[in-house]
Amino acid sequence: MNQIERYLAIAAGKEEVHAGEDITVKVDLAIAHDITGPMAVEQFKKIGINHVFDAKKVVFVLDHIIPAATVEAKVLHNVLKQFSQEYGVKLYDKGEGVIHQVIAEKHRLKRGEILIGADSHTCMAGAYGALAIPVGATELAATMATGTIDLEVPDVCEIRIDGKLQLGVYAKDVILHLIGYFGTAGFTDQGVIYTGSLMDQLTMDDKMTISNMGIEMGTMISYFADPDQPVGTVKEVYTFQAEDIPASVACPPNPGIVVKAADLSSTKISQVVIGSCTNGRLSDMLVAAEVLRGRKVAEGVTLLIIPASVDIAQQMEDQGLNRIFREAGGMITSPGCGPCFGAHMGLLAAGDVAVSTTNRNFPGRMGHRDGKVFLASPRLAAESAIAGTIVTPGMVVPLGGLADELEK
Amino acid sequence: MSWKSKLRGRVWNLGGNVDTDQIFPGYAMAAPADKFKEYALAGSEIPDFAKKVQAGDIIVAGENFGCGSSREQATVALKEAGVGLVIAKSFARIFRRNAINIGLPVLVCDLEQQVKNGQEIEVDLVSAEVTFCASGEKISGTILASNVLETLEAGGLIAKVRKQLGGRT
Repeated sequence: MNQIERYLAIAAGKEEVHAGEDITVKVDLAIAHDITGPMAVEQFKKIGINHVFDAKKVVFVLDHIIPAATVEAKVLHNVLKQFSQEYGVKLYDKGEGVIHQVIAEKHRLKRGEILIGADSHTCMAGAYGALAIPVGATELAATMATGTIDLEVPDVCEIRIDGKLQLGVYAKDVILHLIGYFGTAGFTDQGVIYTGSLMDQLTMDDKMTISNMGIEMGTMISYFADPDQPVGTVKEVYTFQAEDIPASVACPPNPGIVVKAADLSSTKISQVVIGSCTNGRLSDMLVAAEVLRGRKVAEGVTLLIIPASVDIAQQMEDQGLNRIFREAGGMITSPGCGPCFGAHMGLLAAGDVAVSTTNRNFPGRMGHRDGKVFLASPRLAAESAIAGTIVTPGMVVPLGGLADELEK
Repeated sequence: MSWKSKLRGRVWNLGGNVDTDQIFPGYAMAAPADKFKEYALAGSEIPDFAKKVQAGDIIVAGENFGCGSSREQATVALKEAGVGLVIAKSFARIFRRNAINIGLPVLVCDLEQQVKNGQEIEVDLVSAEVTFCASGEKISGTILASNVLETLEAGGLIAKVRKQLGGRT
């Protein structure tokens, strides 16, 4: 068995499991947010039981539309508030941040534990070794009642990346490069295990950026290997050399259309978004702040800075990043999903072009169907904000010029 | 909810890579449940789909239908707008499971290049056989797993879980 199978077997109470086998596994945490949670609650109530399987193992986070931008959004908040009071489950309703970051900070699972989340980017928790499986509202409702989920044991592939990333190339470029290579359906229904010497150099923030976007290749589970145990038998091993990965950009209309940033230079932009569960962590903000320190956002460009959690927002304040962003002409919003999924706080009109550190760029994702979203790293996004066009890292701030690069 | 294993309907051919933002756009995410159907495919190339669709119509698509977000609103919107079945060359995992869980049948079959909008087809979900009504010609899709058929027959996952937990409170 490989590492994913080993942990699935434990959760299923079996000696071993095999790809294709239908199993029922025990769930360690079930999560939902203000868009999926109310539907899950409605479905749960139809089941007709008066308690969730374990009140400590169900968590809701308001992150998609908070503060409520419409009356309808507030109604959704209230559904979850009422449910959390009645059933004794935890609700984060104070703008604590994006669900996946809040779970990573406040409810971090142990390696091999099972996380079921009614949000596609639930897979992010694979960065710290959880088996994190995204589902819809009805499946979450069933888990809230039973404490289990029925799954098929997936085929598992290994993605092995050795070597060191070049200057100006970040975890975001790694995952964009992989999505470009494998396509948006490259691993549908499959598990992916990340291995290789690059993993030793990646921080937890980096790993979360990579596992977060696994769903953009269709994965069922995106999982970083435990280096202290054998990976085990997998269906296929794909090998990459980190030095070959360029600064990358995913072009509209989907995250699978990935090109070298250098190929897009001189594309004019009107908005830059730095944030989200993909790239709204302190390390992302530090890179962006260093780029923006003492510089100005270009004429005609709106720069949005969105911390992924309130803890990150506090650290940004403590470390003086907010002043840097404001002096550069950036706008700092409250923690949450921001405009990533197109409901509020920075939508695009037809003709707008955004560089965003978020995870999707489907037509209409951030507003109008004819607004364009290019996905990139915080470094590339920050440099582009200053240039007013899509640039490759190093064109505004020389490569090797940031503090963390000088340390290397 | 009545389970019908044989369906007949008009085709809407949507092509490949239809993501959930196109099926149910972000701006509609806070909509109350009784309004979901008004937004069916509102973000796609046929934004007025909800007005044009008729009960029992069948969506035909290419690869990776429903990729992207886990929003179950996408499946509910299609079902409540009247879509009786979605046939695609392949489905994204979460959309496929969401559809089955709410009792919207999905069938894997490579039809995208073979049918036109408005064409009538008949589908047997048990044998996974698609019949072109005009010519009588048949094409086979992938047989649905027994647990999927079970869920569809039960009318969705919630009904199945109710049964499973029957008597327990």
